[in-house]
Amino acid sequence: MALLGETGRLDRRTMLKGAAALGGVALASPAIISARGETPVKIGMVDPLTGAYAANAQNEVTGAKLAVSQLNAKGGILGRPIELLVEDSANDVGTGVQKARKLTERDEVSFLIGDVNSAVAQAIAQVSNEKKILHIVSGGHTDTITGKDCKWNVYRVCNTTTMEANSICSTLFEKYGKKWYFITPDYAYGHTLQAAAEADLKKLGGTTSGAELTPLGTTDFSAFLIKARAANPDVILVLVQGSDMVNCLKQITQFGLNTQVHVAGLQQELEALEGMPPEARIGVWMFEWYWKQPGVSGVDQFVADIRKVNNGKVPTARHWFGYTSVQTIVGVANQQKTLDSLKLAKALGNFELPPEVRLQPNKCYYREGDHQLMTSAFIGEAQAEGKDDPEDLFRVDKVIAGDKDAPPVDETGCKLQWPA
Amino acid sequence: MSAGAAKLIALTAVWALLAAAPFWAPLVGGYTALGARVLVLALAAMSVNFLLGFAGVLSFGHAAYFGLGAYGAGFALKFLAPSTPLSLLCGTLLGGIAGALLGLLIVRRRGVYFAMVTIAFGQVLYYIAFQWSSLTGGDDGLRGFARQPLDLGFAKIDILGDETAFYYFVLLCFALVVAVMGFILRSPFGRAMIAIRENERRARFLGLAVERHIWIAFTLSCFFAGFAGALYALVNNFADPRGLHYSQSGDFVMMAVMGGMRNFWGPLLGAAVFVVVQDYLSSVTVNWMSFIGLLFVLVVLFFPRGLLGFIRRRAPA
Repeated sequence: MALLGETGRLDRRTMLKGAAALGGVALASPAIISARGETPVKIGMVDPLTGAYAANAQNEVTGAKLAVSQLNAKGGILGRPIELLVEDSANDVGTGVQKARKLTERDEVSFLIGDVNSAVAQAIAQVSNEKKILHIVSGGHTDTITGKDCKWNVYRVCNTTTMEANSICSTLFEKYGKKWYFITPDYAYGHTLQAAAEADLKKLGGTTSGAELTPLGTTDFSAFLIKARAANPDVILVLVQGSDMVNCLKQITQFGLNTQVHVAGLQQELEALEGMPPEARIGVWMFEWYWKQPGVSGVDQFVADIRKVNNGKVPTARHWFGYTSVQTIVGVANQQKTLDSLKLAKALGNFELPPEVRLQPNKCYYREGDHQLMTSAFIGEAQAEGKDDPEDLFRVDKVIAGDKDAPPVDETGCKLQWPA
Repeated sequence: MSAGAAKLIALTAVWALLAAAPFWAPLVGGYTALGARVLVLALAAMSVNFLLGFAGVLSFGHAAYFGLGAYGAGFALKFLAPSTPLSLLCGTLLGGIAGALLGLLIVRRRGVYFAMVTIAFGQVLYYIAFQWSSLTGGDDGLRGFARQPLDLGFAKIDILGDETAFYYFVLLCFALVVAVMGFILRSPFGRAMIAIRENERRARFLGLAVERHIWIAFTLSCFFAGFAGALYALVNNFADPRGLHYSQSGDFVMMAVMGGMRNFWGPLLGAAVFVVVQDYLSSVTVNWMSFIGLLFVLVVLFFPRGLLGFIRRRAPA
């Protein structure tokens, strides 16, 4: 085809095509921005912004963004601004891996954060390890991440599933009885959480009446619930999370199951409680962080800061995870005055979070042996209605320090292999 | 300019563009690993098109054989031996043999029933992969393997650390499979496939064993899909059940139709558009699939022969 129109002149159609092509090129490649001062340090974040964990993931991103803007106002990382690049893993391991590769290969990020989904977190840890960059797992709980699959470059902020089980199982046992039935999500997180709870239950002298493995993203739990009821347990423990938790508890109360048998669980989150009707907010649970901590320094300030960027809503544990992940990376880099992942990973062993970041009464530090943050568990009961604030949906009865409920390092199965 | 010469120029241009991808891709915001993904998914879409475009039967379950190929490669690397060629062989065989066996049942149906049965078998395989956690890792996927450097005897090529070397390795595999595919389509068997597509009853009257031809075409196509899946496992060093899911099959069909089915190179263009749009838009918005959907609707409405069919029609013959 001739470059110019048939008449040999630049006609309207050719012009239009040219304009469209130019527009396409501009879309295809982000316009190159000439350097403004120092080049930013890129931190990549992979989180499931769509799917069953969307609410949790969006909050982690909001928390991380708050940390970035606060730190940039204070001089950033080694005097350079921080840039956060967020990618959606869509709660799908394959997509998560693809996004982690995109961030490390195309965007060449210096550090990686993510994911809410344990399976995705585990899979992208393999990518970050291959690329030798420091990786903070913000919110994927399965034991193996800081257990038998632990890696020199991977640190984790949220609790392990064993820590979660250890923090609450004795309370559940005393309150509800010894025959337990599990509704478990069918992937890494659910498998290890149920195993940890069963191990604790056995020590306490109880028995498992049964367990239902439900695929992530299940919307109809009725068949599982009928089987759970038929097994006649003392308590049904709901281990599913995100929108699955909302659907499961809603259906439990619709069937009136909660009037026949106790219903509770291990990990609970404010996102899920806010998503369900008041009558479904029942049972004893553990929170990983709660926004109402009278007398703990910095918490009120953090709540006020998050409210400003979160449509007036209070922070959840997920906000704190995202916030802490960024604060950890930048804190240790500024302390060590380097961006070298290997040096930073070494320095993070026994790194203690400062009070304005830890936002909890207990000491909070990364354990050197398995790279797990020793963070507290907040044990209490779900509330149908908030007392002083519509979002005060949890009553904290006790706060347990992380190193009290974490198993010793040699029991985690973690053997760190450092590169030569 | 004769049609033959034009074709030769077009072919040379396609291969030159592919061969030079590591050099021009970064300039337009791409990256080498993206190029490898385009090639692998194009291969899968071409295997769908091999059936859809040339034998005229629509398989909506090809992801199953693609996913099996990925698992086959993963198992070989994890449990058998750390060898990249062996993993490709195992993946191709796993996908192809499964296709050959299920094909015996599938080819008895035509039209929409054929598509439905392929979805059904695909979903059966998907649930097996999902539930068999001890072997496949279930929803967590299969991890703990990585592609291995190629040992040519006289030299070692590091395709694990060197993305560009890996891209050329994928391109070489792509070229080999495309050559085989082209060779089959030019053979008398390929002509018979087209005859069946055009008029099945007539082909039957002419004495062609239609069922057997479609079975062979289906089996071959599953071998191609299995090979693409095995390569995909090497791209990500990872395999998961969603690679077998019918929505993945839908993506392959979409690539084939968008690029231009019945056209040998159409799926390559379709896959390139799909992968690049997905890669770019999914960073910008979580609703990227709406844009792909919109694009698909536009292509089907305005360019029923696909993007490549449209370009061909516009170009002087």
